[in-house]
Amino acid sequence: MMSRRNLLAAALIAPLLLLVLVSFIVPLGATLYRAVDDAEIPTILPQTTALLKQWDGKGLPSEQTYQSLIAELREAQEQQKAGPVLNRLNFEETGLRSMLLQGLRASSRFTGSTKEGLIALNPRWADPHFWGLVKRSTGPWTPLYFLRSVDLKLGPDGAVVPTAEEEAVFVKLFVRTFEISLVVTLICAVLAYPVAYTLSILPQVWTNIGIMLVLIPFWTSILVRTTAWFIILQREGPINALLVSLHLVDQPVTMIFTRFAVYLAMVHVLLPFAILPLYSVMKGIKPDYMRAAASLGAPGWRRFLRIYLPLTMPGVAAGALMVFMLSVGFYITPALVGGSGDQMISYFIAFFTNTSVNWGIAAALAALLMGMTGILVAIAWLLVPGFRAGGVRV
Amino acid sequence: MMKSKLFVSTLTSLLLACALPSLASARDLMVVGFGGGFQDNARKHLFQGYATEKGVKVTDDVYNGEMAKLYSMVKSGDITFDVIMVEAPEMVRACEDGVLEKLDWSLINKDKFIPGGSSTCGAGAVGWGVSLFYDQARTPQGPANYADLWNVQKFPGKRSLRSGAKMTMEIALMADGVAMADVYKVLATPEGQKRAFAKLDELKPHIVWWKSGAQPLQLVGSGEVAYAVGYVGRTIKATEGGAKYPVQWNTLLFSFDYWSVVRNSPNKAEAMKLVNFMTDEKPLMNLAQDWAVSPATASVANNPDVIKKNPGMVASHSKEGLFISTDFWVENGADLEAKFNAWVAK
Repeated sequence: MMSRRNLLAAALIAPLLLLVLVSFIVPLGATLYRAVDDAEIPTILPQTTALLKQWDGKGLPSEQTYQSLIAELREAQEQQKAGPVLNRLNFEETGLRSMLLQGLRASSRFTGSTKEGLIALNPRWADPHFWGLVKRSTGPWTPLYFLRSVDLKLGPDGAVVPTAEEEAVFVKLFVRTFEISLVVTLICAVLAYPVAYTLSILPQVWTNIGIMLVLIPFWTSILVRTTAWFIILQREGPINALLVSLHLVDQPVTMIFTRFAVYLAMVHVLLPFAILPLYSVMKGIKPDYMRAAASLGAPGWRRFLRIYLPLTMPGVAAGALMVFMLSVGFYITPALVGGSGDQMISYFIAFFTNTSVNWGIAAALAALLMGMTGILVAIAWLLVPGFRAGGVRV
Repeated sequence: MMKSKLFVSTLTSLLLACALPSLASARDLMVVGFGGGFQDNARKHLFQGYATEKGVKVTDDVYNGEMAKLYSMVKSGDITFDVIMVEAPEMVRACEDGVLEKLDWSLINKDKFIPGGSSTCGAGAVGWGVSLFYDQARTPQGPANYADLWNVQKFPGKRSLRSGAKMTMEIALMADGVAMADVYKVLATPEGQKRAFAKLDELKPHIVWWKSGAQPLQLVGSGEVAYAVGYVGRTIKATEGGAKYPVQWNTLLFSFDYWSVVRNSPNKAEAMKLVNFMTDEKPLMNLAQDWAVSPATASVANNPDVIKKNPGMVASHSKEGLFISTDFWVENGADLEAKFNAWVAK
């Protein structure tokens, strides 16, 4: 039995709990579910699904199965429901969409067996592999989207095989995403450290001004800051104008649409996330420790390495963690100032979500990105001392 | 007691939250297009023209052709668009996928369109095209065709193309010497697609990809890229504004956009009537006074005065350019776009 006080507490946190549930857990769960959901064919072609479940996978399915597939597809098309089935099968193997539509159009002219008519139209209808694909797509779950996300697919015999070379891109993109994020994290940590240190030892007035200088860009829209870099770095922008007028270069240097521009803009956007936690940790370190070390005869570099650095590690870890997790999901900045070879995995998640409307693969990529980021953070938690020293509780 | 009260209040607020979107359905008729100068003029003559004539409020918004918004809208049942302008292959696919309404030909006159101007879910809106252009103030003599565009020795500088397989694949094949008439025959084969990507590989380091129609003009205008393939209508408008970007009609790729009605739109009948109005002769003639429109309405498209006044009508240049095959892109779009994106990211 809950006490009155507990009930009150529960009532007070209920709105927050509801918000978290509605805005975070439910969408996240729905996304994960979509990555493995395979309901298109069983829902839209129920009879064909039932017939294929009975089919032993040897030879070709019965005439009835052929008829059922065509009849159900036609009905779906009349009700404008055929799209998901066609897209689902075409994603499994290119060309199935046109083969099915061609069969559908021709079948109204068939006089005899549907099976023979379709096979005469396109020999692929007599390929047991095609029917294996359809049978495999009758749900309720599919590993297809997750396999594709790591450049794998199911071969004709159901074994996992690599995808064709021209389609294999995701592993490379995941590597690139983590590479860019790690470099940005490293640069941010190295740049933030002296800045935060300076802020922590300045007189209060100057600290306040310094903090404002960090915070004002932090409050500025990310889009504005990225666009500003675009203007500064462009071919006829101020930097190139300066370089050319000083005769340092003959031709304007290409800076925009390069990896350099991506690093520059991302570091600029993310630097405050590294500076602020470091500053708060450094501010809390008593100068007594350093004085004690000095009185025991430790030279400056040893005082830094043995006393100051370990004490500030929680701040470094917290800042690095935040910068890293934010960089992994970056999308706008590389899309605006990067070239085609600098796009990160989020670019593809957005592409599949917005443009090609293939939410299965988008969900699988997003889930993998989340999982991999989680694993990397866990590794850092085990290996980097600052994480467990009390600064960050993951 | 208190617990059940809490439960009831939670449930009520949840139900309220669910009911809110449907309360918002009493709204103006919403038209969504690709923006730019066309939409500015369409707002005046087509959208507000209808509003004035029928006493219905019409508002409009802009999108970049991304269909996902439409799909999620229809799926969730919270329909905020009524009429939408769609590119031809996307219209056919969205129709098959059931996110567009079948047009009601009792409300829309089917006979006014040019051949191919009406389809199950789409009423022909306007022709559009892309062509190669550059700033003559910077480059007096630039590339004259797509083969030239690939010649980086003779024509140094960056090039800008639309991000996506559609049009880019065709351009690559034409640059590789495929005759305009054979482009889709070649592109339909796996070898042809390999050939197009191989040709694109040559130019890849020199390409800046654009997404929205305003970008190629900005990129050329700021000198960031030397040559771009951009929308003809906007290029002509920029030229009228004083820029020196002559359209090279021999590099034209063109198609038609369609007006469609979003599935389950709460203003379905009104939306159909708006589509009928926007494809009528009178408002389109008014629009043609201000914008080089190339409508799919036969009486306007074939009107000698309109043709004379708008030398930039894509339909008048159809013999010089390549018609972007709707059938080809309906069948191969999803696959080639995915391949293109994989290629771009490498």
